[in-house]
Amino acid sequence: MTVLSVRNLQVAFGAVAPLSGVSFDVAKGETLGIVGESGSGKSLTAMAVMGLLPLAGGRITAGSITFDGQELTTLTEKAYRRLRGGRIGLITQNPMTSLDPLQCIGPQVDAVAVLHLGMTAREARARTVEILGTLRIPDPATICDRYPHQMSGGMKQRIVIAMALAADPDVLVADEPTTALDVTVQAQIIRLLDDLVKSRDLALILITHDMSVVAQTCDRVVVMYAGRAVEQGPVGDIFDAPQHPYTQALIGCIPRGLDDGARLTGIAGTVPTVLNYPPGCPFHPRCDRAEEVCASIVPELEPNATGAVACHLPGVAP
Amino acid sequence: MTVNLMEVRDLTKRFTAPGGPFRKARVMHAVNGVGFDLARGRTIGVVGESGCGKSTLARLILRLIEPTSGTVRFDGDDLLAKSAGEMRKLRARMQMVFQDPYSAIDPRYTVARAVTEPFVVQGRTPDPGEIEALLTMVGLNPGLASSFPHQISGGQKQRVGIARALALRPSLLVLDEPTASLDVSVQAQIVSLLEDLRSELGLTYLFISHDLSLVRYFCDEILVMYLGRVVEALPDTDRPARHPYTRTLMESTFAPDPAMRRVIAPLEGEVPSPFDLPPGCAFADRCPNADALCRTDPPALERRGGHPVACHHPL
Repeated sequence: MTVLSVRNLQVAFGAVAPLSGVSFDVAKGETLGIVGESGSGKSLTAMAVMGLLPLAGGRITAGSITFDGQELTTLTEKAYRRLRGGRIGLITQNPMTSLDPLQCIGPQVDAVAVLHLGMTAREARARTVEILGTLRIPDPATICDRYPHQMSGGMKQRIVIAMALAADPDVLVADEPTTALDVTVQAQIIRLLDDLVKSRDLALILITHDMSVVAQTCDRVVVMYAGRAVEQGPVGDIFDAPQHPYTQALIGCIPRGLDDGARLTGIAGTVPTVLNYPPGCPFHPRCDRAEEVCASIVPELEPNATGAVACHLPGVAP
Repeated sequence: MTVNLMEVRDLTKRFTAPGGPFRKARVMHAVNGVGFDLARGRTIGVVGESGCGKSTLARLILRLIEPTSGTVRFDGDDLLAKSAGEMRKLRARMQMVFQDPYSAIDPRYTVARAVTEPFVVQGRTPDPGEIEALLTMVGLNPGLASSFPHQISGGQKQRVGIARALALRPSLLVLDEPTASLDVSVQAQIVSLLEDLRSELGLTYLFISHDLSLVRYFCDEILVMYLGRVVEALPDTDRPARHPYTRTLMESTFAPDPAMRRVIAPLEGEVPSPFDLPPGCAFADRCPNADALCRTDPPALERRGGHPVACHHPL
């Protein structure tokens, strides 16, 4: 059952539009990956869903975000506050900076249940201890009295996840939740998120730059480039038969994605910044398939058998 | 000419955190008894998680910091016996590419000046056209010579870092996570450039990374570090792991293939503090095979019927 749906989202900061033509759905019990390089608009998409754009000076200029039948783009800040951190949880990239260094862990997690579920301090603490326990944090009651600086990065990320879960959300937005962590800790956190999606029937939007993380966790994938969704579909199709040249090139950049003896090629050129988005297809200056039409007309995201692709000349690599 | 360009023996670095009125001075064991041979034209990868001492090792073997004990031989010469002046001469033959190209280049220097700097340090003047040739060699348009770092991209900055390291025609390049701060598409460009340079110039590399799949792709041999020690020395990249830590590291590295999803048994626990090393094997507390011997007796890096591994119960 689709719980969150984004249609043709466009975001502007003053006169520049760093994000346009982003559409996706996410259902309960499903993990949707949003993958792209830096500057592709993945985090901006997360901010738009969380209603945090005004904080950064941006606004939604077109499109819609519906959550459980409710339109979010027209919601007042007051109404958004009830959803954000409540029914839509956020896990941020850097656990080192998303916790208050001057406050113990316990009160920081308790606050979520007090604000969103109207619990008393005592009830909230009992809930915090229970959630920390389900996240396999050893000795949760003692952890509540610790400060963030007394914990490792992986442990802090679990605390951030506990905060996101405290109000029992329907949707969880995780923005690069493991980028700041070592590989063995990353494996623990990814496994934990996977379990949560299944046990709590959560809809997880996992934002990452790492195709390997996508391959291991996501059910469906949206590939973003220069502020646009360029391809989407089930994870198996995206890896086995990618239609967009950018998706193909991105997979060619992973060392383990190669056959023996094959060489990493990279993608010539660099990701354009929002101030120099090329006209037409944003990928055409780096694309070896590009023709005249690519330089002038922006390709729309057209549905295909299992997903959608925004390319004038789609198809599996020759 | 020796076969090994570099021979490292029992290299150790301890840092002391000074004490104060309320705290005793503490000793941190950053690198602990590390030894290896780096043969000419080979690439050794050093892999490990943050805090395992891999960057300290890089700095030690170039003598950017002084080791507490141990020896480093470069082309037969004992580096630690060299005077500052001799060391400066030798450094022309061993160079480093740093992790963060954003902070490795002076923001007030043009690209040309950044690449000229190594010549100045060595009291030389580059030949006419030499700077342009270096920029071309690393895939930069010589027209960028007068640009400042803020005018070029991260990938281009890292190419400047590589051009600068190559300026004096070194034999050894120490690469400390050269692609960690770059996007994947740019990472692949830089790795591919380093591969080309290795074969064109016959360079020897020490490649430091936390990314095991990249190390397996790029290197000939692998040293796996955990808490300042080499726990396993893989003579080639396809060898199955013999140390339980290496195996966990391999299993934690995700395959970019949804058909190869697997259930990972994640490693429990945390890396012990380098200020307070356990008496036995540093990995014992997290190891499924650990017994009483592991907790009391630190295992040495030995062959034990295969490639070298520091484990009492190799797999």
